[in-house]
Amino acid sequence: MASSSCTSRDVLPNRQLGAARLRLPAMFLSVLLAVLLWAVLPVGARAQEATPPVSPGELAFEEKEAQAIDGMLMCPVCPAETIDQAQVPLAKQMRQVVREKLAQGESREQILDYFASVYGQDVLAAPQKTGVNLIAWTVPVVAVLAALAAGLLVLRSMTARPAADTGGVAGEGPPSEDPSPYLEAADRELALSPMPATPSESEGESASREAENG
Amino acid sequence: MADLGAMCLWIGLALSSYAVFGSLLGKVYGAPALTLSARRASYLVVLVLLVATMSLVASFITRDFQVAYVAGHSDLAMPDRFTWVAFYAGNEGSLLYIAFALSVLAALALWRAPQQVRDTLPYTNAVLMFVLAFFLAVTAFMANPFDKLPVALPDGQGINPLLTHLGMFFHPPMLMAGLVATCIPLSFAMGSLMGGKAGDEWVDAGRHWGLISWALLAGGLLLGSWWAYTILGWGGFWFWDPVENAAFMPWLALTAFVHSIMVQKRRGMFRMWNIVLINAAFSLALYGMFMNRGGPVPSVHSFGASTLGWVFLLFLAVGTIVPFAVFFWRYHQLRSAQHLDSMLSREAAFLLNNLMLLGIAFVTLWGTVYPLISKLSLGESITIARPFYDQINGPLMLALILLMGVGPLLPWRRSTVAGIRRSLLLPGAVAVLVVAVLAALGIHKVYALIGFGLSALVTTGILAEWWRGARARHSSRGEIYPVAFLHLIWSNRPRYGGYVVHLAVVMVALGVVGASFFNTQKDLILAPGETAVIEDYEIRYLGTEEEFKGNRTEFTSTVELYRGGELLDVLHPQRAFYPSFNMASTRAAIRSTPVDDFYLVPSENLANGSVGFRILVNPLMWWMWIAGPVLLVGTLVSLWPSPVKAPAPVPAVRREAVALPISNEPAVPG
Repeated sequence: MASSSCTSRDVLPNRQLGAARLRLPAMFLSVLLAVLLWAVLPVGARAQEATPPVSPGELAFEEKEAQAIDGMLMCPVCPAETIDQAQVPLAKQMRQVVREKLAQGESREQILDYFASVYGQDVLAAPQKTGVNLIAWTVPVVAVLAALAAGLLVLRSMTARPAADTGGVAGEGPPSEDPSPYLEAADRELALSPMPATPSESEGESASREAENG
Repeated sequence: MADLGAMCLWIGLALSSYAVFGSLLGKVYGAPALTLSARRASYLVVLVLLVATMSLVASFITRDFQVAYVAGHSDLAMPDRFTWVAFYAGNEGSLLYIAFALSVLAALALWRAPQQVRDTLPYTNAVLMFVLAFFLAVTAFMANPFDKLPVALPDGQGINPLLTHLGMFFHPPMLMAGLVATCIPLSFAMGSLMGGKAGDEWVDAGRHWGLISWALLAGGLLLGSWWAYTILGWGGFWFWDPVENAAFMPWLALTAFVHSIMVQKRRGMFRMWNIVLINAAFSLALYGMFMNRGGPVPSVHSFGASTLGWVFLLFLAVGTIVPFAVFFWRYHQLRSAQHLDSMLSREAAFLLNNLMLLGIAFVTLWGTVYPLISKLSLGESITIARPFYDQINGPLMLALILLMGVGPLLPWRRSTVAGIRRSLLLPGAVAVLVVAVLAALGIHKVYALIGFGLSALVTTGILAEWWRGARARHSSRGEIYPVAFLHLIWSNRPRYGGYVVHLAVVMVALGVVGASFFNTQKDLILAPGETAVIEDYEIRYLGTEEEFKGNRTEFTSTVELYRGGELLDVLHPQRAFYPSFNMASTRAAIRSTPVDDFYLVPSENLANGSVGFRILVNPLMWWMWIAGPVLLVGTLVSLWPSPVKAPAPVPAVRREAVALPISNEPAVPG
């Protein structure tokens, strides 16, 4: 390993680099986790934001809310359309029921439950986040997060491996000892944008050339 | 005419089968004459299928109602120009179209194949012709468009009215060609693997054809959204319908592929990963075709009752298992030539982007198949539709846009935290400013704010880099700014073409955010002379004309559109009833501006002349449709081949002094 040959002066920057290596992706991952959790949380947990409270008996309701509910109910007699889209009489009738129930002060959940009890669970455009249907919601979220975590681990192992692996490759020096040429070049790029004079074919060589320089 | 077509179909099948065996045997037993003749057979198939295609067209033009397919998808009243659409309106014709499109693309791919893949081209040829032979066999044996009825019918059943729309002239052919074109990069990859190559030879050809397939799918998806928006009559453009998803998933995998292939091109890394990606894209494309033809899930777009499901399921299995088997067979050859220097590098960002894209594809796939799993194994009948995808894919897409903003700012190999901070400073500041201003203006929807902020981040990042590059050329070479900008773009087409595509993606994002979070919808019934107000628009409904047109009754309403008392436009939304299909088709009247779309569609016509209208104000939709041409331009720039072969390598000294080794990397489209 290249790091074993490092002098103590080198160790510190290397360790900092290692920490930095993970910090950004890890931050990215945790932010994503937070957002996904927020998205998947049962609707009730953040219902105040979506549905302004309607006092019972009051006839006024938000048409916006009615339309949102329309978008959550499938039309039972048409393939893959919600009652918001479908133009058959049954869909029209269901839209009317949604509005009547809203006017009676029923909540979004109550209305969805009502339709599910009349037409079956598959009238809901997305399954409820309860019981066995939680599988539908959790599996993709867990899978995506697991894939990202695995990806980060693979990346980390790819960065850890090189010294042992490629030390023998001709022309390629131990890469992590002195990153400054790359860093300088990177900084130059960031400060001043490219002004490439070479067509893209010849650029294939530039990577290997860089490797040699490094 | 139909007999000629049927004959050509069989000849095509024979030729493509011959090409499979000819090129394999010729390669394995070292008979160049045989591989050459197999390749020529692949070229000849194009001609033969062209004749087959033309003879079906001729049957349509002459309305030869003895041909079952013509009788089923046209009638005497159909204008001739709809022959184009009627051709692929059903299973049989669309399969012939797919076969023809594949034969053309395959011939182009073989003809234009770069030098590096010449050696393994026979394998590539065999894979391509195998796929083509499959489609031709299905067409000839199971869904032959030239099958005849015992007697000629006096008139046909007519064309599905939903298809008589300009979008339908391009959307299905583009999608079908895009789906089947995924097999071209795959066949280059397979050729390279089967030929026992180290794994980098196929990269250029794979990237080119991956991009072509990607652009066809992207264009097809956008046109399909536009079609849905203008004709389906509910004002939406994307519904996460099983068939939409079926085209969306391979597009996602291809998007990952065209990014990741750049890492292999530039750095010799991700060799295995790229094979996995292109295999996945091809599998997902086959899955899409399966869903489209007798798939198990209901959809508004599928080809009606089709019995071809099991054949496509079988081919899906073969098309998934065989490429992965080849991959594992040659696994040991695919070690990376390079290593990863840092997590803070473009390579790492690309891998994250790939995982996010595949994540979205997985969520989408899960959503399409889980209802089946649930029903079969748990006995729970459930639906998974738009709310599910919105909630899970929404955040993932925002994360993807974040990566789209940050990734291109990272250099290859490695960067420092300080460097990233510096390059993100301006875009980040603009993004924060945009969010602050919007929040101050009264927009408090979290997703929307994030979406706008990220769009600003991406746009600023791209514009800042263009500005710096153009300024550098301006000061060093004295070019005026527009010229300097064009030269900059032209100097690194893969990279800057990719940036143009990124801008197009931002435009789509603006349209999606605007129309999903800020739209206003009203359903109301208006009697002639009545007015209605929606947002700052006011409409006056004047009346409806009823006209009988052969196969349909058209109701055309006249509606005046005002804003602030000023007449903006007179709109003519239309609704037509087709008795033979017992189906109504609508044509929305849309007044589109960069700020918002005013959308008006009649949903029912009452006896007393009143009309039920659906009215929508969709902010920012315009940007979504403009994105299509921008995306096309970006892809073309990215694909444009270099006019001359690469000049001799630039001396190292000069390169360091002038060209900034790390800086002139081609980046990625998509």
